[in-house]
Amino acid sequence: MSPRLLRRAGSALRYLLLSLAAFLSVFPFFWMAIGATNTTADINKGKVSLGSALSANIASFVAAVDVPLILWNSVKIAVFGTALTLLVSSLAGYGFEMFRSKLRERIYAVVLLTLMVPFAALMIPLFMMMASSGLIDTHIAIILPSIASAFIIFYFRQASKAFPRELRDAAKIDGLREWQIFLFIYVPVMRSTYAAAFVIVFMMNWNNYLWPLIVLQSNETKTITLVVASLASAYYPDYGTVMIGTILATLPTLFVFFAMQRQFVQGMLGSVK
Amino acid sequence: MAELSLKGIRKTYGSLEVIKGIDLEIEPGEFTVFVGPSGCGKSTLLRMIAGLEDISAGDLTIGGARMNEVDPSRRGIAMVFQSYALYPHLTVRQNMGFALRFAGVPKSEIDRQVMEAARILELEPLLERKPGQLSGGQRQRVAIGRAIVRHPKVFLFDEPLSNLDAELRVHMRFEIAKLHKKLGTTMIYVTHDQVEAMTLADKIVVLRAGVIEQAGTPRDLYADPDNQFVAGFIGSPRMNFLPAEIVTQGAQFALRLQGMEALFPLPALSASLSAGQRVTAGLRPEAFHRDGDTTVSLAVEMLEYLGGETLVHGRIAPTGDIITAKADAKDMLAGQERVRVAFNAADILLFDADGARIR
Repeated sequence: MSPRLLRRAGSALRYLLLSLAAFLSVFPFFWMAIGATNTTADINKGKVSLGSALSANIASFVAAVDVPLILWNSVKIAVFGTALTLLVSSLAGYGFEMFRSKLRERIYAVVLLTLMVPFAALMIPLFMMMASSGLIDTHIAIILPSIASAFIIFYFRQASKAFPRELRDAAKIDGLREWQIFLFIYVPVMRSTYAAAFVIVFMMNWNNYLWPLIVLQSNETKTITLVVASLASAYYPDYGTVMIGTILATLPTLFVFFAMQRQFVQGMLGSVK
Repeated sequence: MAELSLKGIRKTYGSLEVIKGIDLEIEPGEFTVFVGPSGCGKSTLLRMIAGLEDISAGDLTIGGARMNEVDPSRRGIAMVFQSYALYPHLTVRQNMGFALRFAGVPKSEIDRQVMEAARILELEPLLERKPGQLSGGQRQRVAIGRAIVRHPKVFLFDEPLSNLDAELRVHMRFEIAKLHKKLGTTMIYVTHDQVEAMTLADKIVVLRAGVIEQAGTPRDLYADPDNQFVAGFIGSPRMNFLPAEIVTQGAQFALRLQGMEALFPLPALSASLSAGQRVTAGLRPEAFHRDGDTTVSLAVEMLEYLGGETLVHGRIAPTGDIITAKADAKDMLAGQERVRVAFNAADILLFDADGARIR
């Protein structure tokens, strides 16, 4: 084969692989959108074209679920949980990087070690803690355990390594207290790191399933993820209705991701250039 | 009374002592330069004065008041950092007014002060820009402006020019000297560049390994160094050091440079000498001339033509020590294998085996 032909074959192979990957990642969304317009019978048959059951599906979803309430529950947990996680975990990451102490690396190692503990192992003690504090079936029980996130602390400490120490020195000479340095210098300088962390934590909170499933017991406190899952696990699930719920559950994360895509990429690369 | 005084200042990290007892008085309006090789503690000492590092022992006073435990913002100092340390998310105007804003100064007064500093440094057209949109030299001027706005008793500069290219560095050096003249404020300046030290300083403090080797005017340090380290550090190219021996010549002592026949009668020195004592003779490259009382022949290793002058790096026969001599560029040296240079014995400085000056 001539080198030119070889190059063409290589590029064709590359496109083939990329197309396959694109198909695999996009098809579920496509299937979800198509499914929302079809009846359960059609979906079960494997129909992949637009149907005419969209309004019927929407109507049955709205009839089955208190849509504003569950959306509000999800938004509340995701937004407050994310804001608190970013505040507390970034403060910890900042502290770990800025303050020298003999114990620093040991404490940090313990924090990182908690990343290795699977959630399933924490579930029961956590549940007992929440039960003894009377927090079962409240949203606080969902938000509290995630605020100090070892991963986000780690992420912020790594990002803080690029934060110029001389900025902190300059701010001290300008008369700022430590909390003012954090708030007025660190946070704005690291804003793309915050944006990336926001996307990650928001998605984790929004999609959180297992822990809310255990803690949230009444219909009034449930999140959209729980409701969609419970619709899908009925004896005879109405897939058309489930797809409406799935779309509703997916849209906010898509919106957050696309709205912050640029900052997300920049934050992953590092805030400080 | 001294504007700033250091008495027995020490800094220890655990068992490691990095500043080993510094005593220094800095007069009002004086431009003092801390100079020394990397790791000599000059930046640490500056950061201790600024309050960015704790003082392990000793007393720091600024304007007569003890400042050891005082917050950096209340010491009456302002600092210009090597990386400029401008807040990247704020405009030039906000950067310069930042300290005043946190001190609760009214907005109109901040504006007035910022405009005044901007006028001095010709920064007016840049006030609404962010640091990322400025060149290195402009950022440096903003950093200085931020310091001026605070009206400090003492300016601290931590290697402020080392991130600039050579041409800009010379320009900014000149700007800083002009600024000092205009403001008349006490300034402390840290650098490892002895040319910056020589050109800017009223007083140079040479540091090595956490102690002051010598403090004095640039002229003193150049002409009358206390020890071999200072003699070698100040002056460019550096001083030549040649092994030598004290010999007796009649009732007097004389010096014999290793490998040379000629004896140099020594003037009456206060130090006690003994015959056979090994010493080091120091001779600056610029001490060599076309004429002098002693002539040496150099086997040329390399010539560096600098335009106005030529540096001759050559071996002294028969010891093989390489010395550097400055020659007039008008002397046509190119292509010569041997060059004769002359010096006056009176220009030789003597150091004992520990490097201390023999006077």
